[in-house]
Amino acid sequence: MKLSARYNRVNILTSIFVLVITGVLYYLFIHLILTNKLDRDLAVEENEIRQYTSTYQKLPLPASYLDQQVSYKKLLANAPVVRDFSYTTYVDPKEKETEPGRSLVTSVRLNGKLIEVTITKSRVESEDLVRIILLITLGVTIIVLISLFLINRFVLNRLWKPFYVTLDGMRNFEVAKTDTIIAEPTRIDEFNELNTSANAMAEKVRQDYKELKSFTDNASHEMMTPLAVINSKLDSLLQTESFTEYQGALLEDIYHATGRLSRLHQSLLLLAKIENNLISDAQEIDLKDMISGKIRQFKELFERDNLQINADLSEKKIQMSRYLADILLNNLFSNAVRHNIPGGQIWISLSAETLTISNTGKETRFQNRLFDRFSKSNESEGMGLGLAISKQICNLYGFEISYDQKQHNHTFTIRLAPAY
Amino acid sequence: MKILIIEDEQALMESMLAYFTGEGNICEHASNFAAASEKIELYNYDCILLDLGLPDGEGLQLLSRLKKLHKRDGVLIISARHSLDDRLAGLDLGADDYLVKPFHLSELKARVSAIVRRKNFDGDHVITFNEIKVDVSAMKVSVADNPVILTKKEYELLIYLLSNKNKVVSKNAIAEHLWGDEMDLSNDFDFIYTHIKNLKKKLSEAGAKDYLRSIYGIGYKFGEL
Repeated sequence: MKLSARYNRVNILTSIFVLVITGVLYYLFIHLILTNKLDRDLAVEENEIRQYTSTYQKLPLPASYLDQQVSYKKLLANAPVVRDFSYTTYVDPKEKETEPGRSLVTSVRLNGKLIEVTITKSRVESEDLVRIILLITLGVTIIVLISLFLINRFVLNRLWKPFYVTLDGMRNFEVAKTDTIIAEPTRIDEFNELNTSANAMAEKVRQDYKELKSFTDNASHEMMTPLAVINSKLDSLLQTESFTEYQGALLEDIYHATGRLSRLHQSLLLLAKIENNLISDAQEIDLKDMISGKIRQFKELFERDNLQINADLSEKKIQMSRYLADILLNNLFSNAVRHNIPGGQIWISLSAETLTISNTGKETRFQNRLFDRFSKSNESEGMGLGLAISKQICNLYGFEISYDQKQHNHTFTIRLAPAY
Repeated sequence: MKILIIEDEQALMESMLAYFTGEGNICEHASNFAAASEKIELYNYDCILLDLGLPDGEGLQLLSRLKKLHKRDGVLIISARHSLDDRLAGLDLGADDYLVKPFHLSELKARVSAIVRRKNFDGDHVITFNEIKVDVSAMKVSVADNPVILTKKEYELLIYLLSNKNKVVSKNAIAEHLWGDEMDLSNDFDFIYTHIKNLKKKLSEAGAKDYLRSIYGIGYKFGEL
């Protein structure tokens, strides 16, 4: 839910609630005041009748004035004296209409007789007044709601624009590029602050990225140099050529270990680079072409182990780094060869959505840790980084890599993101 | 061949010097930027081995200096940086090849020989070793004028061994050269043996002597008997 929508909702609900309460209170008060006034008028009239009766010793004529009627009724002498206001109806004699009215029933004593006097006044005018007040209140409510809506619709959207511009800038932010997050010019402090902070953060991220990049480079350099020395000294030692068989075997072991160490180091650096998105030469790659090339490149290995290749490739182009694509395919191919059985099979299929590589092999039991670093089967000669690297590469491009085992068949499936 | 080695790591430089010296090669070395730029200006080399990370300057600047002097020296960059940008920058500035540390000396020698061959393409595009002749431009091999038909891998192996003649070349180095280190076929050298065997067989059938010897199971040596 957008902030403005949420704000609108609260605002409108509160407005409606307040206005309704105000309306009701307004109505009740006005009603009370008008009824009081009517009652006072009725009391004044009653007073006049009393004075008239006591002065002239007779009742005034039960005439009807405008909106006022007086009527008399003889009561029994011992009837209780009443004085009572009530809501009644008022019949307009001229227009023959029944209108709401207010009556005062009281009694006067004339010559020892008790006479009930009923004074009725029409309430039409006060009711009209109340109605008009109610309508005005309702009208004001509607106008307030409409103006709130319009403000939200047009003013708020414009007010929030700098926010969305900054948000967009942050979304499109790339560490490798140097452009700043553009700000929509605004006089609103919060948005200016937001933009400044976003840019400061971007700058810091860029700085960290730069430091990380140079650290990676330096670490690689510092560790590779001693390795290069060991390697070159081994090569030089080999030239002296006066070894016993035993010394030769020792040398071979050192060679293997050194080779392993440098490959391990390169793999770790590569992983760090992929994780930090330091490889950014994405380009269009003809995957079918590349896989066919890989099959040719691995042909010797397939032949050595008597592996049968079944390839079913359809056209597919994707956006990714050629270097990483090469590594990904290398890893999957060597995996399929390394964990195969002599005379086994490899199936490779490429469709618009998925790349599947499956191979025959032994039954194994580890599935969930397969893509973890340094996880490998005991017989494996690899370093246990190949699949971790493959997974990182897939993550980088939004592909999804999964592993499935059905008896002796091991299948890796890469769900390729739709071409973008 | 006249070679200049620019490398600040003393131990590494000594190994390279020792490996390249001999067989009519002249090797010089410089261990910092100042010495290197002086040598580059004064002399001409067939190939310069350039380490990018020098203590007193950026190796890439030496490349631009060479270009400014209109020199035709071949340049092989040796770097510990495995970054694609550096590789491209180096090749853009006119380097002929790029080798990442750590490397095998035999690989270095093979690449230097290839650069020198390419630079001197006008005359010397045939590698001769006694009765064996390899025409690099036509990719043809003959033994005493008998043509030998080799596969691509066997041909590459032969060139590699010829570039490192009279040196012991380790199996690791051969594997990495033929299949690249990315294939990650660690410790699995059976298939090298097959290629060596086939190459030996084809050469001897064409009448060459058996110049190729296995050394203690670690590697092979191609050279005078």
